[in-house]
Amino acid sequence: MKTAIRVQVLQFLIAASFAALSLGLFQTQIIKGGYFRRSSEQNRIRLIRLEAPRGNIFDRNGVLLATSRPAYNVYAIPEDFNPKDIPTIGHILELPETEIRKRLSQARTASFTPILLKQDISKEISMQIEERRPGLSGIFIQIGMIRTYPFKEVGAHTIGYIGKISKEEYQTLDPSIYRFDAWIGRSGIERVFDSRLRGEDGGRQLEVDARGVPISLLSEKEPELGGDVHLSLDSKLEDRIKPLLSHRRSVVLVMDLKTGELLAAVSTPGFDPNIFVTPSQNAERLSVIGSKDHPLLDRGLNGLYPPGSVFKLVTAIAALEAGLITPHTTFECPGYFRLSPRSRRFKCWFSEGHGRVDLYTALERSCNVYFYNTGRLLGEKKLSEYARKLGFGASPVFELPAASGLVPSADWKKERYHDNWYQGETVTFAIGQSYLLVSPFQILRLVAAIATNGQMFQPKLIKSSDGNLETEKNKQKIEIREETFRTLRQGMLQAVSSDRGTGQLARVNFAKLAGKSGTAQAPPGDAHAWFSGFFPYEDPKFAFVVFVERGKSGGITAAQIAKRIVYFCKDIYGSAVL
Amino acid sequence: MVPRFFKGIHWPIVFLMLALAALGIIEIYSATFQDGSSFASKQFFWFLAGLVIFFLTIGIGYRTFLNFSYLIYGFTVILLFWVLFFAKARSGAHSWLALGPFQIQPSEFSKIATTLMLAHFLADRSAFFAQKRTLMTVMFLMAFPCLLVLKQPDLGTALVFIPMFLGMIFLWGVRFRYLFVLFSLALASAPFLWHVLKPYQQKRILVFMNPSIDPIGASYTAIQSKIAVGSGGLFGKGWLHGTQTQLDFVPEHHTDFIFSVFAEEFGFLGTLLLLLLFSVLIGYAFQIMKHTTDLKARLLVAGVIAAFAFQAFVNIGMTIGIAPITGVTLPFMSYGGSSLVASFFAFGLLVSIYKERSIF
Repeated sequence: MKTAIRVQVLQFLIAASFAALSLGLFQTQIIKGGYFRRSSEQNRIRLIRLEAPRGNIFDRNGVLLATSRPAYNVYAIPEDFNPKDIPTIGHILELPETEIRKRLSQARTASFTPILLKQDISKEISMQIEERRPGLSGIFIQIGMIRTYPFKEVGAHTIGYIGKISKEEYQTLDPSIYRFDAWIGRSGIERVFDSRLRGEDGGRQLEVDARGVPISLLSEKEPELGGDVHLSLDSKLEDRIKPLLSHRRSVVLVMDLKTGELLAAVSTPGFDPNIFVTPSQNAERLSVIGSKDHPLLDRGLNGLYPPGSVFKLVTAIAALEAGLITPHTTFECPGYFRLSPRSRRFKCWFSEGHGRVDLYTALERSCNVYFYNTGRLLGEKKLSEYARKLGFGASPVFELPAASGLVPSADWKKERYHDNWYQGETVTFAIGQSYLLVSPFQILRLVAAIATNGQMFQPKLIKSSDGNLETEKNKQKIEIREETFRTLRQGMLQAVSSDRGTGQLARVNFAKLAGKSGTAQAPPGDAHAWFSGFFPYEDPKFAFVVFVERGKSGGITAAQIAKRIVYFCKDIYGSAVL
Repeated sequence: MVPRFFKGIHWPIVFLMLALAALGIIEIYSATFQDGSSFASKQFFWFLAGLVIFFLTIGIGYRTFLNFSYLIYGFTVILLFWVLFFAKARSGAHSWLALGPFQIQPSEFSKIATTLMLAHFLADRSAFFAQKRTLMTVMFLMAFPCLLVLKQPDLGTALVFIPMFLGMIFLWGVRFRYLFVLFSLALASAPFLWHVLKPYQQKRILVFMNPSIDPIGASYTAIQSKIAVGSGGLFGKGWLHGTQTQLDFVPEHHTDFIFSVFAEEFGFLGTLLLLLLFSVLIGYAFQIMKHTTDLKARLLVAGVIAAFAFQAFVNIGMTIGIAPITGVTLPFMSYGGSSLVASFFAFGLLVSIYKERSIF
């Protein structure tokens, strides 16, 4: 085909499509012009958005932790509303007239869009309005959904809360999903699983008469319900743990070693997520946000603290793996340790000294001097290498965001402080002090790894049946010899069962419990108390960590709480499990 | 010097462009003056920038752009990558590149860059030899930026690549059986492409076929824009008096739906005039194509015409329900600096072709 003809074909196509446009315009503007003119003059189509209820969040036993309840909301369509009615409406809703005027004027450029006057009114008030509705044009009541958390503080940090979308977010997010007044997950599961929990809004096109009263339904789309989330948490267990921690800043995490599911993740002080969605609880919301105790912080995942003696487990693993010590290697503890005859004394917590101890005894009695010595043998490099291998200093793979913490090294110190690494820092590093920062969640993972020979399941918060199958793939294997883990378990058992063990207060009479206490110096102020362990000893099913900020002593404060938790587990899951 | 520069310029085209851009600014003002925003004056600034680009393009000459087309094409592809991965999203789309106080949409420029690239590439290859291989390469060259734009997501701009591509290979002399194969391939890949689209884009297309699917979203827009256009009648409601627009029934009225504002305020007479302006502009473009002997130039004109006509058709068509709502802008009229400047650039190339035609 010749080029000239091709050009003509192109010209013809374009001419034809423009002719079609002219015809279409003729039909719309001339033939149906009158009809469209009328519908524009009295634009009688109103849009009513039907909000999709957010999905529910359940605990492992199907107990509702977060759901949506119906609420009566009063709306006004400014175009249909008669300003004469402002006093009446103000009286019924107990709203100042100026407030109503302000809201109505906000919508000056979109006067056919319903404006929310008052949210969540009582049934009585809604009846009053319905009765007077024939006289009140442009006012209508619509049932909306309000998020509610029936158990208030229970599981609050895990569940999280929702809030109104901010202006910046609205500009960056897809407007077809997030409307300008949409709710969006702000923390926890509500945030991470936001797209699953939120459904799809529906809506109605209504035809209204001149007074704004609907006369027919033009089209309707039902809102689509949001999906549910089933957590692995046990609200019963959390409910019982909570009173133990009253008024303290503390953390308890309990994990099912057979599946990796977290059964309890309590962080105190807690908060009631309802305050973020209930307009009348504004004052409480502000006080929670401004509180010096930072109740919104999930200390279990994002609180960072020095681990203290709990970290001796890592030092022991590193030294055993590196072949620097055997379980039977002994060191003399005179109550202090010196790098050289003229250097300062590094104290053992037991000033009279533990005498000659082997690794088992050192773990049992948490002898600092033993680990000062192993730390010096290892050096800073090996120590931080093994700490990283065991999950410290990096964000763990988890459903919720969790802090990475800090594992120091000579290079890190050079960059951060422009200073050399000193050997004195190595020995304090070995007992979990110096610059080291860990989260309770990371300690839980460490203990879980020890309890399962390094064949642990990835910790998770979503119930296994909820599309989170426990396959071998979810297992995380740590390249450390079983023998090493066995030694550690033996030491942890002794710490609880021996009468000279630092964790003896956690001892229970029905099962063998293994654990390690920690009392981490964090001046200024009292030391932090740690206790982490697993049980039953022979075939571990549960791992837990207890952390009390400024709890003074791990062996006392934290171990006592741990003991109660073990009892709760027995009560709830039965002695058959143990 | 100055008179010589202006001598060969195709003044009717300049006049038509100015008329369209002026109508655009007038209507942008009408659509937005109520909320006190400065869209009209911003558009005026872009209009001035567009004019500078237009004359600059003529001054440089289209041949230089063709010679550097590989470089220009590569540069715009890099920009597309950049916005996709590094730029902050606006309204859920990674389309804008922040350049100081300005927001640039590289997708608009990648359209012309691809046209230049294809013109250069196709003209260098005979349509009578190894056509299959040439076609494959050209298709890849078109699809690459097109998919990047689609991913932003900007369905409207991505779609424009297709008529542009088809127009160019058609004029180049593609064999009909290959054209047929291309169409079958497109049909066969439709189900796959469907899943590439975002849910709201799928919805718009479904709504086009069945308007009752999404009463508060896309079908509401479709109905309201139709009411706006229709209620204009023969003479229109007069400037600044389009109630559909002023009361905010039609969303995005200063960008994608600028035509419905125009149609409501100026009626059927106005829309006919507008169609006439667009047609005459396209007619002149064809004239330029016929008068040049440079094959590259002809292909370049073909690409510009195809994209231009497609945009005008789809944009106007969607306001009256004969095309789906896809977010295609109306050239010269829709609000948007990049779109306006890119249109001026494209016609600058055309006028340069006219000016540098060989006269025997």
